[in-house]
This record gives sequence, C-alpha cells and structure tokens, in this order.
Amino acid sequence: MKRLFALFLLAVGSIGCPGSSGQAEGLDPSKVPSEIRDDYGVFAQRCSKCHSLARPLQSGIEDDLFWEYYVARMRRMPGSGISPADEKQILRFLKYYSAEQRKKRAGMANTSSEGAL
Amino acid sequence: MSRKLLGAAMVASAAVALFGGRAAAVERNFAGSAQFDYHFVPKANTMSTERQVPLDGFTTEASLKAAIDISDKFSANVKMCFGCHGFELPMAHFDYRIADELNFRVGRFSPAFGNFNLRHDPANHRLSSKPLPYDMGRMLRMREWNMGVLPSPFPDNGLEINGTHWFGLSAQLDYAIYAVNGFRSDTSAQDLDWQANRSRDSYYTDNNGRPTLGGRAALTLKLSSTSDLTIGASGMHGTFDPTNTLTYTIVGADFALRLNRTNIRAEWLARRQEFDTSDPTIFRYRLPSSGGDFFVKHGAYVEIEQPLTPKIDLLARVDGLYRKGNVVVASPLRRQSAVSRLTLGMSFLLAPGYRVKVSGEMWDFSDAGPNGRHTDLGMHLGLVGTY
Repeated sequence: MKRLFALFLLAVGSIGCPGSSGQAEGLDPSKVPSEIRDDYGVFAQRCSKCHSLARPLQSGIEDDLFWEYYVARMRRMPGSGISPADEKQILRFLKYYSAEQRKKRAGMANTSSEGAL
Repeated sequence: MSRKLLGAAMVASAAVALFGGRAAAVERNFAGSAQFDYHFVPKANTMSTERQVPLDGFTTEASLKAAIDISDKFSANVKMCFGCHGFELPMAHFDYRIADELNFRVGRFSPAFGNFNLRHDPANHRLSSKPLPYDMGRMLRMREWNMGVLPSPFPDNGLEINGTHWFGLSAQLDYAIYAVNGFRSDTSAQDLDWQANRSRDSYYTDNNGRPTLGGRAALTLKLSSTSDLTIGASGMHGTFDPTNTLTYTIVGADFALRLNRTNIRAEWLARRQEFDTSDPTIFRYRLPSSGGDFFVKHGAYVEIEQPLTPKIDLLARVDGLYRKGNVVVASPLRRQSAVSRLTLGMSFLLAPGYRVKVSGEMWDFSDAGPNGRHTDLGMHLGLVGTY
C-alpha cells in the first residue's frame, strides 16, 4: 500500500512536467525539418489528446484530399481542441509525412528492382 | 436477388451523385484495436457465490471500424466489435453535415453523453478497466450493483443532431441532441435490464415505441498551446418498460484538463430510476404511502494520467458508486450502499500503437460480501494494440 501511495505521489508531483513530454509513439522532433517542426508539435500535442499518434502515422493514408477529410472529421470531434488554425498546421505536417512515406516506398521499390536485375 | 442488388447499387449511386462534393473517389479508412486482459481477483473462490460476481480471467475486446467519406459533407461509419457479449455492431450510421454547427446523424451509434464515452475504445484509455460510473462488467459484485450508472459504450438506434463551433481561436462549443430507442426492462422491473438491450432473444427494437431524449453541451477552452480545459453537461430521459409508466433520468457533469501531456479528468453521473411497486412484499423496506418508487445511483471518478518517460505512463484513479433507495429482499444492498475503488496502474509502450497495461485495484464496499469482507483486491494485466 505504501508503494502504491508513493507512485500516486510521484504522479501528482510530476503533473505538467515538460521533461516527461517525449513523444515515443510519434517522431523524433529533432529529425523533423525545422520548417515543419512547429506543425509537427501541434499535431503531436492535439492528436495525442484522444488517441495514440500511431493511429494517423500508421494509417497508410497517402492521399492529400483524404487527409483533409480525416483531419476535418477529427477537428469536429467534441472537445477535440483542434481549432481551424491548428487544422492547417496538422494538415501541413501530415501532407509532408505522406510525401516522405511515398518517397521512401519509391526508393525501396527502385532498390528491389535493381537487385532483381 | 439481382433486383435487390441493382436497387442497392442505384441508391448508392444516387447518394454519391447527390452528396458527392469535391471527392474524386469515395475515401475509406479502416482502423481497429484489440485488448487482451487478464483480471485476477485473489480472493475469488469457485466454491462461493463471490466467484460469480466478477468476470475475472481472460477477456478480449477487439474492433474494426470503417470510416467512409463520400464527400466533405456526407460520410458513413461502420464498426464491428467482439467482446464479452460476442459480436456486436456498435456503430453503423450516416452523417450529413450542412455546416460544422449542424450535422445530422442517423443509424446506430452511441449518443453523446459524458467525456469518457469519447475514449471508451480500450486503445484510447490507459487502464484495462473503465471508471465505475461507466463500468460494463469488470466491477466486483456487478450483479448486486447491476453495473455502473451508464455502462459504456451504449449504442442505440436513432437520430442525433450535433455540431461544434469555435469562438475565435480559444473556445470550442459542442452540442448534441438526440432521440434513440432507450433502455429496456420488463413491466415489473426493479432496474434497467442491461442484457435485454442487446439480447438476441428479443427484437432489436424498442420495447415501448417511445424514444429516449437527451443531449449534451461542452465548452473547451484552449489555455495555451499545450493545455486545454473541457467542461460539459449531459442528460437523457425516457421510459423503459413496455407500458411507458416507469422512467429513468440520467444526468452528468464532466471536467477534463490537459496540461502538456498530463490529463486530469473528473466526472459525476446520477441516474434516477423508477421501479414497479405493485407488489410491496418484495421490498426489504416498507414503502411509504407516496413516493419511494425510485432509487438514485450516483457515480463519480477522478483520474490523473501522467507520462513518466516517453514509454511509461502512470495512472491513478479514485472512483465510486453510491445508491440510495429501496431494494428487494434478496438484495445484499441496503437503503444506502456505497462502493469505492482506488486504482493505480502503469502503461508500457512496446512499439508504436502497442501497450502493456498493468494495474491494481483496492475495493471498499459499505456492505459485507458473501465471506463477510468489506474490502477486496483486483489486478489487471493487459495488452492492447491498434491496427
């Protein structure tokens, strides 16, 4: 019981502690290009409120129009806290992320086809 | 058969033509989650009635959802899940959105109530168990208590009008009003019959033809770029017996504060439940000449969700139920009964989207159990993943 209480105190003591805000389910912010880093920050903060960041990052969505529908739907969720301004930043990041995924896949496809020759 | 298929295809084509806005093609997204949990109750004993009280042992909750955006105005959602009840269809609805502030939802869905219901999917909350007001089968002595105030999720068939509006960049107002079938029970009911709401033994239609009406309003304030506060109020009212004479009213208030990645949440729910008093001999306490034909069940929780490291979250929750009102002679409860629970848990990230959940629960009941005890312990070990 004492151990449980100590854990409880630890939780209370670290409330809002910025040092504990690592985004293990997301990307390493230092590896995100500086021009998109703020957008990623809004994405990570807003989208992790209700679900894991793995949800959008592993969704396999690559179509920009689909992202627009998807993020608009999330913005309209009750209590989402995603303002129209946040929506623009989140979309900017997700479109960048999708483009990177497409590039990666194209690179892998080229590598495998070269290997086959 | 071919005529029916042709008809369905024509209706679908007409819908796309009617509602198809900018979409070049119908967009579909599939997502799901699964949680495998082992609930260990050390004092549970197969030789006593207590063993029948918790659903301990292994449980599985799995779901798969398809979200279909036909246009920026028209969308559909279908969700299948498998849990303690077997296969269920908790979601199958259409949304037609005229504006952010005005959306029509028709079909099968969980009507808007409270804050937890938005996170009821096991992948979206860090403990294996739900808060007691929303408990659906994981509480100890659940038969005595007939579960929480409003077991979540509570999908139903009906219509909901909802919307959201931003005032500037710092305040979001949400609302929802709905009419759904509502909960059910027999004519001589003493409480809601949760199993009757989903039993395959009867029709999946209302038992009295009168809808339950309800609504919710919530205000979210952005306090800074990394913090926000939501306060909300919900309510629903309807009849639940076949003759439309017995009513239930559920109200709730909720508070959620997010500071960086720390979440502090609190909710209170109360259900005023009328019961049949045509046979006064079944009750433990003498019925008054007027009134006395209802009980009130309150439920509340406060929880803190705190990331300790990027891969470990710590959770602490205090929750409880309080019931006031007459009981049947056979009930182990009394005129006033209460239960409280302290839960401490940790959630470990294995890989993006995959977590192990570990928690311990300490229960305290106002009434002695079959073995004369007022306290009990429970533990959960679960694995949850998204796909």
